[in-house]
Amino acid sequence: MCHVSVGHIARLLEASGIATVIIGIRAFRPSLEAMTSPRALITPHLMGRTLGAPGDRDRQRAVVAAALDLLETASQPGTLAELPGVYRVGKK
Amino acid sequence: MSDDVQRESFEEFKSSFAYGSRTDLGFKFIAGLPDRDAARFLQDLLWKLGDTFDDGQFERIVEHVYEWQVRAYAGEGKWVYADGPFTPLRKPLSKSRLALLSSSGHFVKGDDPQPFGVKDMTQEEAAARILQFLKSEPRLSRIPVGTPKEKLAVRHPGYDVRGAQADPNVVFPHEILIGLEREGRIGELAREAYSFVGACSQRRLLKESGPQWVRLLQEQEIDAALLTPV
Repeated sequence: MCHVSVGHIARLLEASGIATVIIGIRAFRPSLEAMTSPRALITPHLMGRTLGAPGDRDRQRAVVAAALDLLETASQPGTLAELPGVYRVGKK
Repeated sequence: MSDDVQRESFEEFKSSFAYGSRTDLGFKFIAGLPDRDAARFLQDLLWKLGDTFDDGQFERIVEHVYEWQVRAYAGEGKWVYADGPFTPLRKPLSKSRLALLSSSGHFVKGDDPQPFGVKDMTQEEAAARILQFLKSEPRLSRIPVGTPKEKLAVRHPGYDVRGAQADPNVVFPHEILIGLEREGRIGELAREAYSFVGACSQRRLLKESGPQWVRLLQEQEIDAALLTPV
């Protein structure tokens, strides 16, 4: 449901002249796709840990950097990109 | 076996993980699986645990849960739009003003949005009120970026918040964005970030809260927004 809520916010923002990029998990790719979300980066991560494991700064940074790239390069609504790699078990 | 032992069917067992006696927001998806698949998920999980006792390769457990989460939620997608609005980024990101908005349910301690007027609602109480959340208008919490995690709280009736508690950046990457701003990748990061509970009324989000939030970002001359659903 969260992905739908954010999908709706993205649509409202884009219609008002604000560019958006969503970072969502693979499990909810169907929701984001069905909504023709403006731009979405899909991570191969677990629900509740979208950007990676707690404390995994390198992975979190790579995710955000990839999302920002998408913000600049996407040219049409419904642009989805899947981030490669896997969820790395948390660093303590 | 004595007659007073309460018998539980597999269907009941499975369902209890989704807002029932065994509520587990990380594994609630098994309630939606056909019995045969739910049984297979659990059996394989235990089998893989056995392998992990021997070699410590915990990644196989993560991979197993990940694959079944993807499979369980595959039918989602009831909101269908054939097309969508699109605003190109008007200037390079290194000259743009960016805001962060998440549906993680974070808020600053001492500034609790107090859903339904309830003070100090716990995560467990929130999960028990899931249906009430889904009918209600969401409230936006304003969070100064860089707020230390000790001063942040998170509560959400839809997902397991333990990761988001241990490190808010897993769903609310404010510190990652501060780093990217420092490096010059982002022109300016808005000092205020936002979070709300994404389990809410879609109708009210679209008609009431959403348009207000858009105005809030417009007033701050935000060029682009990073959105992180959970």
